[in-house]
Amino acid sequence: MKTERPGSLPMLVAAIFLLIFCLLPFGYMVLTSFARRPDYLRGNEGLTFTLENYHDILSAQSLHFLDYLRNSLVISGLSAACAVAIAALAAYALTRLSIPGKGAILFGVLAASLFPQVSLVSYLFKMMNALGWINTWPALILPYIGWVLPLSLWILVSYFAQIPLDLDRAALVDGCSRRQILMRVILPVAAPGIFSTFLLAFIFAFNEFLFALVLSVDHRARTIPVGIALFQGLHGQIPWGRIMAASVFTTLPVVALTLFFQRRIVQGLTRGAIKG
Amino acid sequence: MKPAQDSRTALLFLLPLLLTVLIFIAAPVAGTIVESFFRDVTFLPRRFLGVDNFRSLLADRSFHQSVRFTLLFTFASVPLEVALGLIFALVLNRPLPGRGLLRAAVLVPWAIPAAVSGRTFELIYNYSYGLANYLVLTLGVSEAPVNWLGSSYGAFASLVIADAWRTTPFVAIILLAGLSAIPDELYDQATIDGATGLQQFARVTLPLLKPVLTVALLFRTIDALRVFDVAYVITGGGPGGSTNALSLYGYQYFLSGDFGYGSAISVVLFALALILSIFYVRLSGFGRVLT
Amino acid sequence: MKRSTIWILGLCLVLPLFGCRQQPEARLTFAIGGAPAELDVWEELVQRFSEQTGIAVEMLRQPTDSNQRRQGLLIPLKARQADPDVFLMDVVWLAQFSASGWLLPLDEDVSDQFLPRVVDLVDRRGGNLMALPVNVDAGLLYYRKDLLKRYGFAGPPATWAELASQAGTVQAGERGEHSGFWGYLWQGAEYEGLICDFLEVAASAGGGIVENGRFVLDRPANRRALAFLTGLIHDEAVSPPNTYTQMREEEVREAFQNGRALFERNWPYAWAQHQSAGSAVAGKVGIAPLPHFPGGEPAATLGGWHIGISRYTDTPEQARALVRYVTSFPVQKEMALRLGWNPGRRDVYRDPRVLAELPYLGQLREIFDHAVARPVLPYYNQLSQILQRHLNAALAGWVPPEEALRKAQAEIEAVTARYRTGRSR
Repeated sequence: MKTERPGSLPMLVAAIFLLIFCLLPFGYMVLTSFARRPDYLRGNEGLTFTLENYHDILSAQSLHFLDYLRNSLVISGLSAACAVAIAALAAYALTRLSIPGKGAILFGVLAASLFPQVSLVSYLFKMMNALGWINTWPALILPYIGWVLPLSLWILVSYFAQIPLDLDRAALVDGCSRRQILMRVILPVAAPGIFSTFLLAFIFAFNEFLFALVLSVDHRARTIPVGIALFQGLHGQIPWGRIMAASVFTTLPVVALTLFFQRRIVQGLTRGAIKG
Repeated sequence: MKPAQDSRTALLFLLPLLLTVLIFIAAPVAGTIVESFFRDVTFLPRRFLGVDNFRSLLADRSFHQSVRFTLLFTFASVPLEVALGLIFALVLNRPLPGRGLLRAAVLVPWAIPAAVSGRTFELIYNYSYGLANYLVLTLGVSEAPVNWLGSSYGAFASLVIADAWRTTPFVAIILLAGLSAIPDELYDQATIDGATGLQQFARVTLPLLKPVLTVALLFRTIDALRVFDVAYVITGGGPGGSTNALSLYGYQYFLSGDFGYGSAISVVLFALALILSIFYVRLSGFGRVLT
Repeated sequence: MKRSTIWILGLCLVLPLFGCRQQPEARLTFAIGGAPAELDVWEELVQRFSEQTGIAVEMLRQPTDSNQRRQGLLIPLKARQADPDVFLMDVVWLAQFSASGWLLPLDEDVSDQFLPRVVDLVDRRGGNLMALPVNVDAGLLYYRKDLLKRYGFAGPPATWAELASQAGTVQAGERGEHSGFWGYLWQGAEYEGLICDFLEVAASAGGGIVENGRFVLDRPANRRALAFLTGLIHDEAVSPPNTYTQMREEEVREAFQNGRALFERNWPYAWAQHQSAGSAVAGKVGIAPLPHFPGGEPAATLGGWHIGISRYTDTPEQARALVRYVTSFPVQKEMALRLGWNPGRRDVYRDPRVLAELPYLGQLREIFDHAVARPVLPYYNQLSQILQRHLNAALAGWVPPEEALRKAQAEIEAVTARYRTGRSR
């Protein structure tokens, strides 16, 4: 913890700037979602408060908003869970067992996360096409597992590396197999870390756009980001009120999750960053 | 310890990871690279072209425009994000009142999907009644509304700001981690030595922050090169193709049914990312940290 | 076997089941897009079809933008999916779909009931009928009769110069009361609509995209047209600055309908909207052919949507029934009356009630016979995107018209060469 240092006035100004910078667009999103017309800033009418935007997106079947939400939650949840499971296994092996080329594997996975999505999407489309899975959940879940896996691996490796090897040794002396050690000894200890990783992976998968844009076609598999990007309303031209309502409705849970678990999320992100 | 059994376990534990990366990352990239050597159009027979797609790219004016935009966008937004991120990290590092609120506020932009915040910014930049022009006019910055999405500078700035808004939190968090790892004693010692706040920042903070800064720069640069969501949603590549990011350009060719040419564009983007990564890794000696 | 291995394998087996569960039973899916008001009418029509025939139809709502509608169809068609079974295609990318082998040939017996020029131009491939025109579009000039009268003009402008001057006068006069009033609204954003608007102005000066079977974009008539359009925004300032960023069909229609413009270039669908209850301009709107340059003729870009069946449909018989329904006389007549659409069927143009409500329909028949068609090519879309970019850059004032057209031509030639030989020379 830093003690008070000279120059705290600039810090205060910076803090206020931070608040405005981060919250103003979000606040505008929320405000517009409650407005009858989006042009309330132009001054003619002012803001007319209404809940009809929310009512419309939740009740109009043809807008499929709830379908998109369901798809996003299921797809993100499943892919994050699988990715964390796979990463946990691999992280255990990488931190506990002697493996030739450990560094190469880690570096390779890191490099894999740097590929531009557009470089993968054409072949993924062909792959899913051949399997007949276009516009189904697996078509998105599987690529998403690959998409969030590198991040999950890095974070979990740094968590597992900090769990003392003595725990393993003690269990080995007791005659446990490696798998049992992972399940019964390490996982409980690393549970908070695994949870943070899951949260981060979930948010990553939830926010993904390009794969969903190409691999899904309609409400059966389309996710929220694509749904909102392509949102067409019931009346008139670009229905800003409804778009904002949909945006707020979607992001409020994610934002709430983030706020509630901010400590964990920050820890997770920083571990991934300063590994080593 | 039974080494033989351990090796088997190791292999088994690593198998899902390796399989996933192989099937869903390595194979698609390899497949796309192979595609780029073919003519693969929905209404023409498939044909091997050698490097002709790339030769065509070299002569393609729109491609040049796209590369120019992507590089300019990267080198404009990344320093902005890092600078802002650093300021935010410094703020978050202080025991200010309401620190939890500040940290929560910082995470809000990051939690929102890029496509969703993209639409919000699309409204913000609306010429007639958006928030941006409202502020510009009310604060007296300009007398006439700014054509955010209509002028080349305006569209460029719009995308940079929208992207920076969403990604600065990530940088801030990473830098915050680096900041909190710097021991207090160094600062105390510097204060005793009579160094001012600014001098402490330059002599103590920055050097020790260098590894984390490099990580942040690397990640953000690669991410900025492959930008898609904000360009697609806010400007659609316009006006006049001036904000046509490379990802978007490749995607447009997929939509036209020309998968071969689109793959060639993706390969170029991938090569750019690779070159820059190698450059960063070499420059920062990062590779040593990993092994 | 290790428990974790079993767990992972189990997951791999379970996941495909999600895929299976998501696959729908064979049912007729009809993908339809357009302005939201149009979609409402379609829902009613489809409902009635279901009641009459007992065939359940699932309607897939698509966006308004033609490009997005194409994207929404291209992906399932390339993926050889059964849904959507029936859909509408814009006349410009119909050729791409048909050349890619994605359409099921239709029954020939009805084709002579449709506008022959359109059908022969666009709907046939390899001797088969691949699609039928549901509506035929051509660009029109909408104007405010009351405003023209108030400012002492005899009638709508015949030449573009007249349009610019009338627009300037009325705009100056109306700005006092309505600060957001504009003289002439048209589609200039970077999308297909821009090509339509440009083509109309260019053709009315004797220009166009193709000349003697080759792409010739850089010619005096086109330069004149592009310079004129750019001038509307930057010199005469009768068109708003966001013309080239945001103005598409719906934006233009809404602004005109709220009384914020004197002239509007739009498709015929806007008429019914303008006359609807709640419209600020109901009863005050007139329609005329678009102006022309001296020595030229008024031109209108041929647009319209055609209905087709996916080659991968799982319900071919029901799909054909739906197509027959949509292209039948009663439905086409209803679309004309309610949506202001110009039907693809010829007999509707002679119906007395239709002619009474849409008096301009008789005039339109002529306009259709001379409408300017965009090149019917499978790779029209790539050409269009290139042209859009350059035209838009010129409209933005960044590039002089000559340079924009020259560069567009060079790029288009390169793309064409690439599709012929694999190399862009």
